[in-house]
Amino acid sequence: MRPDDRHYLPSHEWVKTDGDTVVFGITDFAVEELSHGNEDDLVYCDLPEPGRKLTQGETFGEIESVKAVADLNSPVAGEVVEINKTIEDHLQVLAKDPWDKGWLIRVKPDNTSMSHLLDAEGYEASVGEADE
Amino acid sequence: MTRPSVRSDSGAVETWRLIESWDAAPEFNMGLDEALLDDPGAPPTLRLYTWSPDTLSLGYFQKWADVPGTENAGAVVRRITGGGAIHHTRELTFSIVLPQDHPLFRGPIPLSYGRIHEALIAALSGFGVEASLAGQASLLSDREKTGMCFHESTPLDVAWGERKGVGSAQRRRGGRVLHHGSIKLGSTPLEGDIATLEGYLPGENPIGAFAPALLREIETNFAVHLERSEPTNSERSAAQHLGERYASPSFLRRR
Repeated sequence: MRPDDRHYLPSHEWVKTDGDTVVFGITDFAVEELSHGNEDDLVYCDLPEPGRKLTQGETFGEIESVKAVADLNSPVAGEVVEINKTIEDHLQVLAKDPWDKGWLIRVKPDNTSMSHLLDAEGYEASVGEADE
Repeated sequence: MTRPSVRSDSGAVETWRLIESWDAAPEFNMGLDEALLDDPGAPPTLRLYTWSPDTLSLGYFQKWADVPGTENAGAVVRRITGGGAIHHTRELTFSIVLPQDHPLFRGPIPLSYGRIHEALIAALSGFGVEASLAGQASLLSDREKTGMCFHESTPLDVAWGERKGVGSAQRRRGGRVLHHGSIKLGSTPLEGDIATLEGYLPGENPIGAFAPALLREIETNFAVHLERSEPTNSERSAAQHLGERYASPSFLRRR
């Protein structure tokens, strides 16, 4: 079971509330899709500058593995206040720990509603369908 | 080894469009692929194409300065797919655009490469090319600091004669996948010492010989029926609009 302290997009991004900000990341499923267990296969991640305004669902960044480029989609609207600079140079951190140390960006959300997102159970179901 | 099933979920034979674009402008080639990727209503599509003029394409994240070949290449574009640069001359290029949950692309990305490369290897074997996946060993075609796709290898690349013979890259967005593939018909100025089909195919019309074999293997391996078609008017319009940025200085030198 994936962590139930956050919400999810079917496109494999997660968002977790942390005080008056939220943190975005990608799930272990996304990492596995991109790298298939080889942590060195993630080669580049392009993240937005702090201060950028994001709309819900907007592409906020891109990640490249050895063989594919994939978009990163914003689960909620808000303003980017911090990016995880560690992973820009050390994507192995994201590959090893997508739930915590491998977070991507911190956002000050426009509102706190997450009713449009999947909870852990709903995300598990969507991933299960993808695995079939 | 059991070949992974890429049949449609219903088990029925799917119909894919086949769009051939010979000697097409680089902006059109890239623009049409992006139009197909971004249209969730577009049917499953396989494209075969060649380029006019000869064109160097950079990978989406490559730095301009990391590809010395840009100085001598003539036409240059930046792709939206990843990977290294490719000099599109003496080449058959193909693209496949499908939903991401299609069995061909479902699961880890490397598996989707394996499915496509198996079909390519089967097509190549019909011409006496003993191609296989590169595996863990480095290849004789590996080179440092050229920035060229064919000079960098991964275990899933298709190789023969211990040299890389097929360039591959993907873009995934909006629940859809664009897969690019490149097969060299002969050596090119910027991609020295790589595997090509020179000597395996008739010199006068190598694409005319190889393309039907590739299409047969795709139909067999992926359980699809290919129907020749043309881009719709709206796809042509979108391709023209989207294509404009591919050779624009701001996009070319974004990194």
